[in-house]
Amino acid sequence: MTGYLNIILRLTIWFLLTADLSWANIVIGVGVTILLPRGVTNVGLLKDWLRTLGEVLVAIPQAYKEAFEIMLYPHREETVVLERVKPRRTPSLIFLDIFLITFTPKTIVQRYHNQGWYEVHYIQRRETP
Amino acid sequence: MINILSYTCIILGLVFWYWGTWPLLGRRSVLYKLHGLSVADTLGSMAIVVGLLLRIPHEWPLLVLALISLSIWNTVLGYVLAYCVTDDVTHDAGQEVSHGR
Amino acid sequence: MTLVLIAMIGALLIPMVEALQDEDIWQRMLAFASIATKTSVMILVIAVLQDDWMIGVVGVLILSVGNAALMLLAHIIKRVDDAMEG
Repeated sequence: MTGYLNIILRLTIWFLLTADLSWANIVIGVGVTILLPRGVTNVGLLKDWLRTLGEVLVAIPQAYKEAFEIMLYPHREETVVLERVKPRRTPSLIFLDIFLITFTPKTIVQRYHNQGWYEVHYIQRRETP
Repeated sequence: MINILSYTCIILGLVFWYWGTWPLLGRRSVLYKLHGLSVADTLGSMAIVVGLLLRIPHEWPLLVLALISLSIWNTVLGYVLAYCVTDDVTHDAGQEVSHGR
Repeated sequence: MTLVLIAMIGALLIPMVEALQDEDIWQRMLAFASIATKTSVMILVIAVLQDDWMIGVVGVLILSVGNAALMLLAHIIKRVDDAMEG
């Protein structure tokens, strides 16, 4: 599954970069995509992938909303919270999770522990009791 | 109409830039500044690029690539910097919370 | 559009001042990351202003290979720090 995703990602970058749909270009793009070395990939569940990709789309407006919140009300407190990784996560799904958390302005993943914990750095309006 | 919309996006991006970059000059922790930069450099720049996209829609493939790479690179760089900075701070994280002002 | 560009140069000055005045290496890295993104977005704006899309292609290329060097540098600095301490 991730193998296909890898190929799709490369082809997307290639076609967006060249913006040219002639036959020669398609052949070159597909050839380079297949020839480039691939790392060892783990098979993830299709359902998890679709849900996480959906969350990425939702994350963009949410990131803007959080940005306005930070701008309108000063967030001065910093806290570090440990969060549990969802079960059955492949490394690429964990990467997407970290991407999602760090993308929104109020939260940044500091560190990923191999036992299945993220260390997330929050900023808040006031200290939690 | 399109012009007004595009200017709105660009000015919004500029406001984000100034707001998020300003804390760099203060004396806060690196992580706090990183939150500001993720507003400025990721969201602000994305707004500016969307504004440009509205002006020249025929160049959409490259601008969409710019949007994607902007979001991914900045986010990953934020994570890497946070990871590198917090290595020896981890054990006194609670202390950092208390004087995080 | 020219005004937008001037405002962007003003925003670019902030991380530059920070990089000059702060001694801490991580604060400087932060400022450099900010400079890198801001300049590449400025390249895109200039491309639209000049109506010369070849400049824009350069800007998009810089954005897409972009911050890899800064990430590698951050890792090297961390390794050196660890080696000096331990």
